Amino acid sequence: MTGPGAVDEVIGAYLAEIATRLTGPARARRDILAELEAGLADASDAHRAAGLSAVQAARAAVAEFGGPERVAEGFHAELAAAQARRVVLPLVTAGPLIGGLWTVTAMGGRTVPPWQWAGTPAEARPVIVLAVLALAAAIAGALFTMATTGRLVGRLPGRPLVTAAIAAAGTAPIDLTLLALFAVQVAATPSRFAVFPAATAAAASLIRLAYAGRAVRTCLATRTLSRPGHS
Amino acid sequence: MSAQALKGHLDGMLLAALEDGPRHGYAVMEILRAGSDGRFDLPTGTIYPALRRLERAGHVRAQWSEEGGRRRRVYELTPSGRRTLDDERHAWQEFSSAVTALLGPHRRPVTS
Repeated sequence: MTGPGAVDEVIGAYLAEIATRLTGPARARRDILAELEAGLADASDAHRAAGLSAVQAARAAVAEFGGPERVAEGFHAELAAAQARRVVLPLVTAGPLIGGLWTVTAMGGRTVPPWQWAGTPAEARPVIVLAVLALAAAIAGALFTMATTGRLVGRLPGRPLVTAAIAAAGTAPIDLTLLALFAVQVAATPSRFAVFPAATAAAASLIRLAYAGRAVRTCLATRTLSRPGHS
Repeated sequence: MSAQALKGHLDGMLLAALEDGPRHGYAVMEILRAGSDGRFDLPTGTIYPALRRLERAGHVRAQWSEEGGRRRRVYELTPSGRRTLDDERHAWQEFSSAVTALLGPHRRPVTS
């Protein structure tokens, strides 16, 4: 093998091997591969300056960087953190907004929490309590994820993909409960709710439900694929 | 030098390599090699995740910049990185002088 084509082949094949072993947000993966590519070019230059041919220098650069499994494995923690933050950030941003919309909807001029809405069966109360507990777990999961993937990295042991999955899954019970209570209410007394906040709150909860389902799957998939030994 | 022994001090050494100004990953590696007379022998590919971890911890700041037609990710110490480097340096000096006192060259007792 000689010429620039052969050089690209050596570096390209090596980067492709690393790429297949990386999981996480596509942008983060592209960024990592671009940085490695520039580093391999720098390493090749250094080996050429030491007297190697272009292809020998490319091979030496690849050897110097280390096996693709090992290099990819080095990035797993970074990619897991990036994925977890990406999952949690929209939840943290939209959470208070969705809460506010439901509060406005529930109040509708009167200060009545959902479990006191007329027509709410008494059995709904424990369900609401459990949903609120799940929401508290979600908030804790979200905050813990943000803390352990940010400045506290290394100081607190974190399992970002697990806590991010908890943050996402924990929002589902409250959304399902509120939507169910809301549906019962609308069926009984349609005129009770102001149309705009009610429709927006219900839509936001539906969107969050769909998002949570996808987010949990993404977290679990990233976790499985980044386990050592998997390739 | 064993990879395990180096790894424990990798963060401090990376921060030290950035002390005199911003550098890209390969330049950091070259400093570590030159500064250790080639005894620093971790694979170059392990430098990059370590730099990103320092970035996440807020000790370095990274920016893509173009130089000589090549886009590189350039790392720069932050104030928090400088403080961490000072701490690591201090801890290492204490540790190494303690070990030198115990393991250093044997001094024969003075006989008169």
